[in-house]
Amino acid sequence: MTPMIRKLVFGFAGLALLVFSGISFYQSRRLKEPVVVSDGVTQVVRLSKYFSGVEGTANDCNMYILEGKEPGATFCILGGTHPEEPAGRLAAWIFAENAVLQKGRLIVVLSANRSATTVTRVGGAYPPEFSIPTSWGEQGFRMGDRWSNPLDQWPDPEVYIHYPSGQYLAYVDVRNLNRCWPGRPNGTLTERTTYAFMEMIRKEKVDIVIDLHEAELQYPVISTIVSHEKAQDLAAIVSMTLTDMEGFKMGMEFSPKNLHGLSHREIGDFSDAAGLLFEAPEPFLDATRGKTNTEQLLTGKDDFVVRAGQHGLLFEKIDANGWPIDKRVGRHTSAVLQTMVSWTEMHPDKPMVCDSIPRYADVVARGLGQYLRNPALAKPGRIWYE
Amino acid sequence: MDLTTYASLVLVVMVAAYAVAKFFKLSTEISMFIGALAGCVAGGFGISARHIAEGAMTYLDINLIFITATLFMNILKESGGVAFVVRGLFKRFHHRRAILLVLLTVILLVPGALTGAGSVTVLICGGMVATVLVSMGVPKVKTAAIVFIIAGLSAAAPPVSLWAMMTAAGVNMPYVGFFWPLMIPCLVAGIATMFILGWKGKPAETEEVLASLPAAPEGMNWFKIILPFVVFLGFIFLGRTWPHSTVVTGLPFMFLCSALVSYILSPLKLNFLRISRDTVNQLLPLLGTLTCVGILVQIMTLTGVRGLLAVTTVTLPVTIVFASLFIVLPLSEAVLMWGAAPVIGVPLVLLFNTLGLNPIVALAGMSIIWPLGDALPPTAIIGRLTVDVTGYKDSYAQFLKACIIPAIIMIMIGMLMVIYSKQLGFLTGL
Ligand SMILES: [Zn+2]
Repeated sequence: MTPMIRKLVFGFAGLALLVFSGISFYQSRRLKEPVVVSDGVTQVVRLSKYFSGVEGTANDCNMYILEGKEPGATFCILGGTHPEEPAGRLAAWIFAENAVLQKGRLIVVLSANRSATTVTRVGGAYPPEFSIPTSWGEQGFRMGDRWSNPLDQWPDPEVYIHYPSGQYLAYVDVRNLNRCWPGRPNGTLTERTTYAFMEMIRKEKVDIVIDLHEAELQYPVISTIVSHEKAQDLAAIVSMTLTDMEGFKMGMEFSPKNLHGLSHREIGDFSDAAGLLFEAPEPFLDATRGKTNTEQLLTGKDDFVVRAGQHGLLFEKIDANGWPIDKRVGRHTSAVLQTMVSWTEMHPDKPMVCDSIPRYADVVARGLGQYLRNPALAKPGRIWYE
Repeated sequence: MDLTTYASLVLVVMVAAYAVAKFFKLSTEISMFIGALAGCVAGGFGISARHIAEGAMTYLDINLIFITATLFMNILKESGGVAFVVRGLFKRFHHRRAILLVLLTVILLVPGALTGAGSVTVLICGGMVATVLVSMGVPKVKTAAIVFIIAGLSAAAPPVSLWAMMTAAGVNMPYVGFFWPLMIPCLVAGIATMFILGWKGKPAETEEVLASLPAAPEGMNWFKIILPFVVFLGFIFLGRTWPHSTVVTGLPFMFLCSALVSYILSPLKLNFLRISRDTVNQLLPLLGTLTCVGILVQIMTLTGVRGLLAVTTVTLPVTIVFASLFIVLPLSEAVLMWGAAPVIGVPLVLLFNTLGLNPIVALAGMSIIWPLGDALPPTAIIGRLTVDVTGYKDSYAQFLKACIIPAIIMIMIGMLMVIYSKQLGFLTGL
């Protein structure tokens, strides 16, 4: 091959790579995810309503506000803090599309770090999107990553120093929404996002913020509630009730006092609200996982992770049945509902009563697709996009 | 087909494709790319443009650091700064062999420590240090061994140690607390190597040596050499002291500023664009390697090959893992270069974590052993480069033989750091 021909061949191969991968990245970044809001939703606002510093950015997400006929407490559910943990987003989706409030107010966020929903992890081989089967067809969702998209926030510093504690953290975590609480108004996009949420929490007088996550089985903080000390009694009751009544194990631990940037620490420290974080098991995040594809993501079946478990390397059990997405989402819906019930028992003067949300057993029996609504049948004005 | 069989078959295809490409004398980076493509096809994913492109971006930031830091080093060299330092130290300390040896070790450690690449050390100051060593009566073969070994250690030395950075990134561990666990062993092993191989020898006449070194240009002085480093450290200092009122610039920009300062202060008129072009040309094989390692790792992750290697490693008996480190690490480096970190390093750190070892110290210990693979076939990039630059003409086997004693020292230090990582945890300062 002459050098000229070689250059041409490589040039065209590079161009083809650019075009084909570019199309894929463009499509997944712009995949529209419909939300057919529940009748209980009385208002949909943007995050920038509370802090204009996120206006016009990727992180100016929707907030679905549901109001009961009677006053009561205000809860906030954060889905999509880490979009690569889909059960968190999907459980919040079920609330936005189905919940009807009797008492109190509920603010639902589906893409807390919207920027992170538009990117997949380099070297991680994630699928660009995944879909959930429903009775009316399939609904597609962006896969997302743990960190904000570098297209929206770059470069990273040499070391990430948390505000205001001054704690040193890994440089990539400067784009991790759950290491950037409570944020600051003139900070990075991720810090401005958490600051906007803090403003919302303060202005709307939120009582409880629930941050929905999933974790790899090799991670010790799993299948548990992490609670700020303000909400420790509530978390303890929820954990015990779920373990006794619903047939799945749910632990409870305290938010470490000296670990900064996490929602369960900083929301409680910097507002009147208390932060709770729920973790469900997601074998897709395990480093020993086998094939990286949507099937693994949604069934949680993986022989390699099972083998790691047989050698005592995991903090949650796993067998050939895996950890299907229905189970993971069901854990979250039940945990949120139980938090509302237990809260109301503890604060009868400030109740929080929510209907039409399936508990664990229902989601597992019927499949979470049963609770996703058909955008084709949405009434005008009742459909939104994430 | 069960997962183990499937992933094993894909692995076999990848290895075979890599070996065939190597057999046809293709470069390591192209061979890795071909291995990755073959794995992608064999795994049933076709030729996935998205995964290739995404994998190629994995080490984009590291590549940028690499380019800007090497540009800085090259400008320092072309402005006569490196020659000035080497001549100055030689003139001042040629009667005090021990001090001179220690200073030469430090000079060799700096370029690789800043850039993360041993080859940059060899290119920037390998030749000049070799001239001084030979003039001090050190045989050429030992001189080549000294340059190679310390260049390897410089790559592992902080602040930029690519093996540690890439492995840490692969296990979601912050690259924090690595400074002393990397610095102390690199200094100890570097100075030990210098003294063991360089202590004996009858020095030549001072004038003769100075004549054989490149001239330091008129007008060069210590201030002009130190200021660019002060600029770099200044950025780090500002960012760490007032993190919330300093603009985030990132390491590549800091190195670029140091390069510019060095360029402006140069007593010689330098062609900035030519040096930039030369820098990228010089680095192309290494940039290519990092890019193709990213693709390879992405495809291995996609097909479950990474999981297979990880689960196999973490379920092996611990004694076997410990006992084989000194073979596995250099060998993986020889085959995959920095790809060894995400492919072999990540599962090992996962294992160490579950064993309750200190992952930072253990990973630092591994980083001391990895560079030894750079002298081994099939790649042997840095080994061959060293032999070229130092002007050593005899057999490559003799050169390898001269490296054995320092290599054993590095292996001992590295293995002890892994095994006693828990007790050495205080080094991290965390
Ligand atoms: Zn999470």
